[in-house]
Amino acid sequence: MFSFDPYSPAIDAEPFAAYKTLRDEYPCFWSPEANMWVLSRYADIVTAGQDWQTYSSASGNLMTELPNRAGATLGTTDPPRHDRLRALVQSAFMKRNLESLSEPIRDIARQCAQELAGQAQFDFKDFSSRFTVKVLMAALGLPTGDEALVDESVVREKAVLMVQSDPVTRAKGPEHLAAYNWMQDYASQVIALRRAAPRNDLISNFAMAEIDGDRLDEREVLLTTTTLIMAGVESLGGFMMMLALNLADHPESRQAVVAQPERLPDAIEESLRFNTSAQRFRRRLMRDVTLHGQTMKAGDFVCLAYGSGNRDERQYPNPDLYDIARKPRGHLGFGGGVHACLGTAIARLSVKIAFDEFHKVVPQYRRVHDQLAWMPSSTFRSPLVLDLAAL
Amino acid sequence: MTQITYIQHGGAATTLDVPDGWSLMQAATANGVDGILGECGGSCACATCHCYLDERLMALLPPPSEAERDMLDNVAAPRQPNSRLACQIKASAAMQGGLVTLPATQE
Repeated sequence: MFSFDPYSPAIDAEPFAAYKTLRDEYPCFWSPEANMWVLSRYADIVTAGQDWQTYSSASGNLMTELPNRAGATLGTTDPPRHDRLRALVQSAFMKRNLESLSEPIRDIARQCAQELAGQAQFDFKDFSSRFTVKVLMAALGLPTGDEALVDESVVREKAVLMVQSDPVTRAKGPEHLAAYNWMQDYASQVIALRRAAPRNDLISNFAMAEIDGDRLDEREVLLTTTTLIMAGVESLGGFMMMLALNLADHPESRQAVVAQPERLPDAIEESLRFNTSAQRFRRRLMRDVTLHGQTMKAGDFVCLAYGSGNRDERQYPNPDLYDIARKPRGHLGFGGGVHACLGTAIARLSVKIAFDEFHKVVPQYRRVHDQLAWMPSSTFRSPLVLDLAAL
Repeated sequence: MTQITYIQHGGAATTLDVPDGWSLMQAATANGVDGILGECGGSCACATCHCYLDERLMALLPPPSEAERDMLDNVAAPRQPNSRLACQIKASAAMQGGLVTLPATQE
């Protein structure tokens, strides 16, 4: 009897075999363990991502939702409210508005990569986490230097903890809720600081913004800021871990991008398809939907398994092959539809620069351990530690 | 399914059966139509799925939202009265046979 429990550590570690069974035999699957439906085919996920009227995000979008968050963030509101909120933060993340960040990002990457020089073995997370949190602080205008409220490593640690779940109960444990509360306190201090002395940065603008003459609800300002920090730090860092893992495991691809850094974007796109860190998100049905002979009821939760859609042979031939020449169009590595990732442009830019600089210091490397410890999270997937040996 | 024809800048035409509810951007990228990027994934955030609609689609479809109009300010190729973002247009039966022309550049 087939079962699929997205809350099990086995699925954290290796979801892809189960995804294939889901796609081939149970494309609309009820998981009693998760108490939700699971959609696994590319076309069904794209359809659901487009149809926000049916597949609502307003009851939360994370597989294990944080308390009191649903309805107050971009990812957990539906249009039209979502669109108005998003319009307020979007411009900061548009490609053409990020050009000024390109040099600062390169300086950060260079500085973080230099710390690896001469090391025979290292945990890639030391690089990815240092880089990520510095980039996010620059991009969001979080206080740094003399103005810093806390050490940046603390921000990283809390962002990572709040997306995790207890490995045994698979619910949010006290340490995860404490990290979430810490992040809200931190966001609230930053908001107060920027309101007192506004600057030309994202949080200042957002904290002072109005929709139709009304200030944003305080919970929206606070939780959207909290989520931007969490999503930025965790998703960017998690994806860098996956790209490093793929390049360690596929030496010919690594050699290609080291020799021709202009091919890094191809490796990034293929990694977003092959094993994106954003594996699964959740929606809630606003009406009954019949799909593949199953009727899902209004009110039921539905898991959109982006990571499975990206391996759907109906969309991508030979999907289990990592091929940087593939140039996968329309992949679900950033989700899709109105809730597609806000940070696609800054993610692509930062990851490209990070690996360009990393490869200048460590051009050849391999994985040290066959077995990896995977993050206990049903939404995001990345290794907790990635020890690499320089060759 | 609704048949939509995409005409690339060089003149090459591709006709797709677009599932109802899919955006014209999603159908194009899922089927490898060149001349359209959709870098943001379909959230009206990047202006890289710029397209020009034929007269019938223009008459048929409701005008762009404020967010789409704002984003259209950012398109790379010349903006025309029939410029739209393909991620904001969802296929429906009435659009059968529509022609969508793609610009010379998206970025």
